[in-house]
Amino acid sequence: MTEAVITANSLLEGDVVFWAGGGWVEALADAERFDDASALDAALQTAKGQVTTVVDAYAIDIIDERGQPVPTSYRERIRALGPTTHLDHGKQALGGPSIEAIAAHAGAGVRSSGRLGLIRRK
Amino acid sequence: MYRYDAIDAALLADRATEFRGQVARRLSGELSEDHFKPLRLMNGLYLQLHAYMLRVAIPYGVLSADQLRRLAFIARRFDKGFGHFTTRTNIQFNWIKLADAPDILDSLAEVGLHAIQTSGNCIRNTTADPYAGATAEEIDDPRVWSEAIRQWSTFHPEFTYLPRKFKIAVTGAAKDRTAAKVHDIGLKLRRSRDGELGFEVMVGGGMGRTPYLGQTIREHLPARHLLSYLTAILRTYNRLGRRDNSYKARIKILVASLGAEAFGRAVEAEWAELDQASIDLPDLELARIRADFNDVAFQDLAPVSVALNAAKAADPSLARFVRNNVAAHKVAGYGIVNISLKAPGDVPGDCTADQMDAIADLADAYGAGEIRVTHAQNLVLPHVKLDDVAALHAGLKEIGLATANIDLASDIIACPGLDFCALANARAIPIAQAIAARFADPATAESVGELKIKISGCINACGHHHVGHIGILGVDKKGEEYYQLTLGGSGAEDASLGDVLGPALSADRVAPSVDQLVDVYLRERSPGERFLDTYRRVGLNPFKAAVYAEAV
Repeated sequence: MTEAVITANSLLEGDVVFWAGGGWVEALADAERFDDASALDAALQTAKGQVTTVVDAYAIDIIDERGQPVPTSYRERIRALGPTTHLDHGKQALGGPSIEAIAAHAGAGVRSSGRLGLIRRK
Repeated sequence: MYRYDAIDAALLADRATEFRGQVARRLSGELSEDHFKPLRLMNGLYLQLHAYMLRVAIPYGVLSADQLRRLAFIARRFDKGFGHFTTRTNIQFNWIKLADAPDILDSLAEVGLHAIQTSGNCIRNTTADPYAGATAEEIDDPRVWSEAIRQWSTFHPEFTYLPRKFKIAVTGAAKDRTAAKVHDIGLKLRRSRDGELGFEVMVGGGMGRTPYLGQTIREHLPARHLLSYLTAILRTYNRLGRRDNSYKARIKILVASLGAEAFGRAVEAEWAELDQASIDLPDLELARIRADFNDVAFQDLAPVSVALNAAKAADPSLARFVRNNVAAHKVAGYGIVNISLKAPGDVPGDCTADQMDAIADLADAYGAGEIRVTHAQNLVLPHVKLDDVAALHAGLKEIGLATANIDLASDIIACPGLDFCALANARAIPIAQAIAARFADPATAESVGELKIKISGCINACGHHHVGHIGILGVDKKGEEYYQLTLGGSGAEDASLGDVLGPALSADRVAPSVDQLVDVYLRERSPGERFLDTYRRVGLNPFKAAVYAEAV
């Protein structure tokens, strides 16, 4: 499988968050990366169970860019960065190598939703 | 303008308290997200890509200066210092925290604002002509009837769970600034031959994935029967509308499948059965509402302002502003001033908290303390003395809001698109910015004349692309943002749905293609023709040839 991470929005703030070691982190760079489908499924089930912490946990595909995770879809890149219209808003305002890696790919993608499991695999 | 009474005030306070309890129960885990989501949506709170978004209702687009100041406060205190005015004449805050939402609703309620009827399958916030009560074109003031609809429809128990959302627009003038024909119900005020006030009732218009223009089911409904007739329409829709498929649940699908005539007959039959007198607005209540809207003390002024004419002669930018942004008022010596939220480079419809405060001050100083929101995502000061226009223009210039481009190519409607919206397939705002940049020179935009460009980031069509002279729809083509262009749409009194130009274009080709379309228009146009007129005369082919020449 391609690498994946788990994302959601925090219940209280609405912020984009990523799964890491049983909890949630703000930065994609700190997300737990899965390359094993059964480990991903198990973590996703746990993540989905945290209903007073997050809303709508799901897995997304990523690629590796110089050691940094970058979502394959532009929708998920925009979630990981912030609006492309207000570069001082959202996670991109913090800058750093992870943000630069994602931003370098901001223009094009391979799939719009990037959300795994929407199309049921046989 | 209309003042909420004690009942309204108590209702808003109760609603905010109720929502505070619902949020607490959600945070404690007592309510699941599945249970909570419809409750938060009924209070205008969406979860978007980056945060919660709160959509605040601006009933029929009318705001007092104090209400606008409160919106500025909320933008500053709870958001990132700005808000976004929408094509439904509401305002959206993009960076809201769930925990803050109850405090925000409390704060809104203090000034008679709320988020009721901004989401869910209910009768949504009614929209009306932003020139209401100010234009000489109108038969009657649409705010009076919109307020009646607000009172009737708010928390209406029978119409809170319709098959799908339901939007009503009211225009008092033949010149339609409300896009009435693409609403579930469009109401146009008119007078019969014997002088009786009434409505032309148009039903089944809408955009989205299956666009239709509304069809007239009643040429003349006596105005006093408005609420009972609306009840009959809603009841017919509630009974016959589809609930099995959300894509086919809007009234437009029902009207199209039955035919407008058969639908109209069903409504008339329902209406005949109703106890109309128990639903229709009593004359006394109508008079009370009407009196509240007749509160501007106009002065006797000369029809021509010597001061303004002198200032225009000295300042070409003021002259341009008056040409493009100031419309005729029904009272001599007054004008209707449009404030464009479309400065090239800025986000269409965005307004900062500082700008909101400044506009509120300008409205108090020069505009009877009243502001209107337009479906084109601009603002209007409806009652400005012509003698004050130069000072107002100077005040707007100071806050970057003196752009003289109303209905020109840079006055673009754009939805938030994929930069914010969880439903979007593609971005809309950057496309609007790229196009507007090409018409940033005001002389260029003015030489092209009226050209309404409307952009939606998905098929739901919040950006009204179907009725753009040039419509632009963002689509997802194999994981890339592509844009489908349509030509010849109109949301005005000459309403029409646009025709697809050809295969979708990549993002970087959209703005150059708009240039090419404009070049064809400039080449083909006859004197006095707008882009839309030329398109309707010459058809799609010359435009298509220009944009797709390289590809052929």
